[in-house]
Amino acid sequence: MKILVAVKRVIDYNVKIRVKADHSDVDLTNVKMAMNPFCEIAVEEAVRLKERGIATEVVAVTIGPKAAQEQLRTALALGADRAIHVETEAPVESLAAAKVLAKVVEAEQPGLMILGKQAIDSDNNQVGQMLAALAGLPQATFASEVIIENGKAQVTREVDGGLQTVELSLPAIVTTDLRLNEPRYAKLPDIMKAKKKPLIVTTPAELGVEITSGVTLLKVEPPAERQAGIKVSSVDELVDKLKNEAKVL
Amino acid sequence: MNFDLTADAIAFQDAAHRVSAEVLKANAKRYDETGDFCRESLDALGELGFWGMNLPDAYGGFDPGSIAMSLAVEEVAYHCAATCSSLTAHFLATDSVLLGGTEQQKQELLPLCASGEKLGAFALTEPGAGSNPAEMRTKAVRREGGWHLTGTKHYITNGAYADFLVVYAKTDESQGHKGISAFLVDRHTPGIQFSSPEKTLGLRGSHIYEISFDCQLSEAALLGDEGQGFATAMAVLDRGRVEVAAMSVGIARAAYDDSLAWAQERVVAGKPLCRHQGIQWMLAEMHTQLEAAKLVTYQAAAARDSGGRFSLESAVAKLFASEAAAKITDSAVQVHGGYGYICDLPIERYYRDARITRIFEGTSEIQKIIIGRAITA
Repeated sequence: MKILVAVKRVIDYNVKIRVKADHSDVDLTNVKMAMNPFCEIAVEEAVRLKERGIATEVVAVTIGPKAAQEQLRTALALGADRAIHVETEAPVESLAAAKVLAKVVEAEQPGLMILGKQAIDSDNNQVGQMLAALAGLPQATFASEVIIENGKAQVTREVDGGLQTVELSLPAIVTTDLRLNEPRYAKLPDIMKAKKKPLIVTTPAELGVEITSGVTLLKVEPPAERQAGIKVSSVDELVDKLKNEAKVL
Repeated sequence: MNFDLTADAIAFQDAAHRVSAEVLKANAKRYDETGDFCRESLDALGELGFWGMNLPDAYGGFDPGSIAMSLAVEEVAYHCAATCSSLTAHFLATDSVLLGGTEQQKQELLPLCASGEKLGAFALTEPGAGSNPAEMRTKAVRREGGWHLTGTKHYITNGAYADFLVVYAKTDESQGHKGISAFLVDRHTPGIQFSSPEKTLGLRGSHIYEISFDCQLSEAALLGDEGQGFATAMAVLDRGRVEVAAMSVGIARAAYDDSLAWAQERVVAGKPLCRHQGIQWMLAEMHTQLEAAKLVTYQAAAARDSGGRFSLESAVAKLFASEAAAKITDSAVQVHGGYGYICDLPIERYYRDARITRIFEGTSEIQKIIIGRAITA
């Protein structure tokens, strides 16, 4: 079985984000970029399925500027067999990404496609679901466990208030939650070997997709600063404040 | 000089950043406070292949080029300078084998060093021979079936934790530096005595030892040819100085990043610190020193890869970057004020950790001698 994994280049999660002075966007100047953490979990799951002999090939795909090849290379170092770069300088919204990925799914015919449930930059949580709809494939989002057996995928999903287990016929789309696995670190020898693995570059146009935008970013603001708390001297005072100041009781 | 980083260099930097930010950073404060050896952090790097960054494919490494290596060393130092010191001390030992060893010695030992199984130590300095190695007293005398090694080495990083030591000793006392040879000494050889680790100002997770030898070594312990030890050690130190420069840059960058963030956040007299010109100028100085230190370091790394001699470039990089790290970490304490002086923040640790970079692998004064001789030759 072939597994297709989508990865996205985002600001490294360790970086403290700063908003541009004119509030037009987040400041990306000299900011360290990395693979989206949920995508790392997706790559790790695919590689583990290959190590267990369930998958035969892992293909990583990304959409983005030339520099996004760094993230593909990380995926190759972590164990993907080959990579596809859909190169574009344009900002790619969820629907455009899903349309591109649907074309890649059509061309590659994977038995399973794994994506992160969302990217930590825009936190949309849309691409996996849109892709499933466009490709006409069953989907299981927010996976915390994936078991492949008898041509089916049994996926445990993290839903409000508990866990839900669903069974999907393959091919299918799975999006990863945080607790699915703990991704490994890339080893230096594997980073060097990754250079020899195939990486093909295509464009949205070559795939027959026009990148359009339906959303205009008006303003970006940093979250409000949290105010310091106060100490109360008694339960009575606390109840009073909750009732009369916070008005939550 | 080409400033575009290769894909390898970026990938190595990323890989080093990741493990350092997540694993090394979490241990760094504890190592500093308890003085525990940086074992977990060092092993985490070993498992991922970082112990073999300095070695070519043929010996189990994958030499990605010195710039990639410098960037990785910088990332390690940024998050834990003590671990960086132990790692680069290992490189001094394996570089000694790579540059001075026989083909058989290289084949037997280096792949185990690259894979994180064998840790090395580099034993050149003595209580009475630091900047003047030719005056070393440790000696190896030929005996039936091998050598008898006697003497004392000092300030040996990794010492008691190393699996093997590269020990430099006089094999011909009638000669100066030409009478020095290098030996491979297994840590468990009878007759080695390790002191308890020295108490130090900084790099407290990277232990240094005094080691005394009264050992019988086999014939095979001689590293390469007799009398070649000094030449090997000097070539090793040329390489090592690029790593000390990278380490200095790493510590300095950590201090600078923290200072900039602090100055943007901390409000004094109604505005952030960074809007007060006195502080802004300090940040400007720090930034400029840091950028210049990076450039001389990458230049030395590029020179190291070009194949020719690079003693001058590596001395310039080591001198400038270590002195810059001293200024930058000092300014970091000043920008932070009282917060920089207390041990809750890592600022005072950067200040202490940076201090040794002006001393080990040749003091700043020795670098000036090397530079001065090279430019007036």
